[in-house]
Amino acid sequence: MVGGKDGERAKEEFLAESQELIEGLSRGLLELDTGIKQGQRSPDTVNDLFRGVHTLKGLSGMFGFERLGRMSHVLEDLLEDLRLGRVELTQQVLDVLFEGVDNFQRLLGDAAEQASVDVETFTTRVHGLARAKVKAHNILEEYELDASMLGVLTEYEEHRLRTNLEQGLTVYRLRVRLALDVIDTALDSLKERVKNLAEIITYLPSMDGGGGDEIEIEMLLASKKTEAEVRTALGRPDAKLTAVERRPKTGGAQTPPAAAGAPKQPPPAAPAPAATTADAPALAPAPAAPKAEAAAAPKKSAADGDVSLRSITSVVRVDIRKLDHLMNVVGELGTVRAAVARLVERLRAGAAPALSSEAHRIHRAFQRHLAEVQEGVLDIRMVPLSQLFDKVAVVVRQVAREQSKEVKLSIIGAETEVDKLIAEELADPMMHIVRNAIDHGIESPDVRTKNGKATTGSLMVVAHQKGNHVVIELSDDGRGIDSNVIREAAVRKGVLSEQAASDLTREELLNVIFMPGFSTAREITDISGRGVGMDVVKTNITRLGGAVDIDSEKGRGTKVTITLPITLAIISALLFEVRGRLFAIPLAVVQEALRMPSQAVRTVDGREVITLRGTTLPLCRLADLFELGPIAENATEHFVIVVSVGNKRLGMCVERLSGQQDIVIKGLGRSLAGTPGISGATDLGDQHLVLVLDAASIIEEVLLPRAGALAVGVGS
Amino acid sequence: MSQGQVNVAKNYAPEPTEEAGVREFLAFVVASETYALPLSCIREIMRVPSVTPVPRAPREVLGIISVRGQVTTLIDLRQRLRVPAGPVSSRTRVLLVDQGDEIMGLLCDRVQQVHRLSEKEVEMASVLGADAASYVMGIGRPGQGERKAETAAEARAGHDGDDEILILLDPIALLKRQVSHV
Repeated sequence: MVGGKDGERAKEEFLAESQELIEGLSRGLLELDTGIKQGQRSPDTVNDLFRGVHTLKGLSGMFGFERLGRMSHVLEDLLEDLRLGRVELTQQVLDVLFEGVDNFQRLLGDAAEQASVDVETFTTRVHGLARAKVKAHNILEEYELDASMLGVLTEYEEHRLRTNLEQGLTVYRLRVRLALDVIDTALDSLKERVKNLAEIITYLPSMDGGGGDEIEIEMLLASKKTEAEVRTALGRPDAKLTAVERRPKTGGAQTPPAAAGAPKQPPPAAPAPAATTADAPALAPAPAAPKAEAAAAPKKSAADGDVSLRSITSVVRVDIRKLDHLMNVVGELGTVRAAVARLVERLRAGAAPALSSEAHRIHRAFQRHLAEVQEGVLDIRMVPLSQLFDKVAVVVRQVAREQSKEVKLSIIGAETEVDKLIAEELADPMMHIVRNAIDHGIESPDVRTKNGKATTGSLMVVAHQKGNHVVIELSDDGRGIDSNVIREAAVRKGVLSEQAASDLTREELLNVIFMPGFSTAREITDISGRGVGMDVVKTNITRLGGAVDIDSEKGRGTKVTITLPITLAIISALLFEVRGRLFAIPLAVVQEALRMPSQAVRTVDGREVITLRGTTLPLCRLADLFELGPIAENATEHFVIVVSVGNKRLGMCVERLSGQQDIVIKGLGRSLAGTPGISGATDLGDQHLVLVLDAASIIEEVLLPRAGALAVGVGS
Repeated sequence: MSQGQVNVAKNYAPEPTEEAGVREFLAFVVASETYALPLSCIREIMRVPSVTPVPRAPREVLGIISVRGQVTTLIDLRQRLRVPAGPVSSRTRVLLVDQGDEIMGLLCDRVQQVHRLSEKEVEMASVLGADAASYVMGIGRPGQGERKAETAAEARAGHDGDDEILILLDPIALLKRQVSHV
């Protein structure tokens, strides 16, 4: 049984690590995508991808995930071909790679490997990709490169050398003597200097120059810079730097650089004129120096496939449930602290002042440390939104390609942190909004041109923290939504009465698309240019204690704003009583609490309102909403708690305010989850649970315009 | 485990050799009838803790209770079994029942004992006709088959099981989520 449990744990570890790898792959592919668009090649990224897939292959093998293993194998081969230039990196190839990563994701998503991923079909697709034909023309022959030198290059190094020459870069040969005892650091610092202006194709110890406690290293560098610039950057006057010259044409032996299947590159730029062929000795003149002896040299080609199965980060992965548990314990500690505080108060009132002040001091220290622990636990749960935004980027690319639209995604504030749980729950709504924006918002390039817009549509995702909340704005510059069309459609669908619809402001009309009856109506969707299921988006976000708003201008674009609490775990709450029962509401949504101005309550169209500093505040009697029964003889609803979510406000009438406290919200069991108006419960330390209200859903319920009902203007 | 909670496993140690077809049930009383649930789904028996009513919950939900920090839904079996409400007494107990995807509390009037029932001692629910409630799994008649005085359950029972009837409940059907909120 123990073995089984360990196996289970190891498997979880595997899943977590694979997930991380796959996310890394997605990021890498997006980089390649950007690279292609900007006409850059990113060999390092391809290498990283190759390593990632290789590791994944090893892991899947170890854990017996057969299909995952085969998938990795196929992808690894493809990446190897890319790395070696056997396959040209095109959008089509990138599509296949994205598909592969998507397949991984799905296979991983169900450990039983039952997902409908057809590895065979995928394999066929990969093999169907055009392999670049073996080059008939070998550019290397045109240069003064020693055959013995070329002989020791790996296939990858040779490919890089060739590509660089084809792209017109100058290849330099660098020889430098390094002291043996500091060879590692010396070499590293040398590489560091070179890295920014040249690609290191290879380096190996040279046999002739060595001797004593020094070793001569030869490097092949490719750079756009002139010899003088490279020399300056090296900062080593003793280093011998020579440009590799083009061989003088020797007549018929050379085939002209054409006809090959490879893409034609501009002819190499004229090599630096300085060095003469005469004083450049053949590189690596001792052909006997085999590569295998590289053990002596600190040669480590990162992409050589020698990939370790060790974890790739120093980060500890923790099951979120363990953190939940820890959070619970911290919450309980908080209630213990409150009990201690009461005890200290009693001591103070009692007879032992010395004891009491000491107890007071201890309590203060306890409180301080507890706050730190609380903060620490919360901090562990926080993840940057980039985790989520990376996935968004993949979806954007995919949908844009599907729809043949050009979309430029700009992301700002990806480092903003939110609770892991929120990041997870946010994924689906975000995907939905993004998909909608491209599906229905951003026009096709020709339409955009006709309307005088840039052919490439813009999608902006901006996140920032605002107090205890995170605000995420998703805006596009697409066709926008016509509020008049919504008005008309809502009335036709019976979602709103004609009267109600005509009373709504433009902003309120736009928010109608979040209403269930509306957004699921397909025909209306097509007219309005907005997608199905915005009600689901709203439900999901509301469940997280957040709010979603939409603003749009016809022809100009649409902006969806999501406001979310940073954490769900420990929150400050206001406690209050209604009909003798204690309730809690997150302080984050409470604007203020005030005495009930009984005389000032007016009734507008069947709804009680008060005027608060010049604006109208609708009231809600919680006891009536929750059917808590009639009020006791001697009690009155003395207080109004003003809550606000998004741009909506509501005054909740309560009998007593009972203070403020940090609470741990616990979800109701599955049987009661989704009870409207209630987001969970909290234990105040006496084993008695107190319900925590969900302000967003109450506001929603009370203020949402309903068929035949008139929405009262919401002041804000 | 704190006081007031009884570990069922301690009450009844299963025989080392399980006879085929023999199942264990925990019998309890609601109103005037004796019901029984498979012992395997019972996690714990506890005294009635402080209950917080939940507005808008289905009618048979008494509220929520805290079971070692876990928020647990408490069902009133009288409401669920459609018998008239009764008072909470010193013998009233909460059965914590694992119904698969959630552990829920069931309020019953009194916990009786564990019965081991062989196949012969269980009648299928079909004897009650087609319109029997879906949560009735069958009828248990302890001692009805070949009487086995040597079985531990009966030795301990110490009463005449002849005319005793257990209404066997199916925990999953019993606790299936009531779709509509009141």
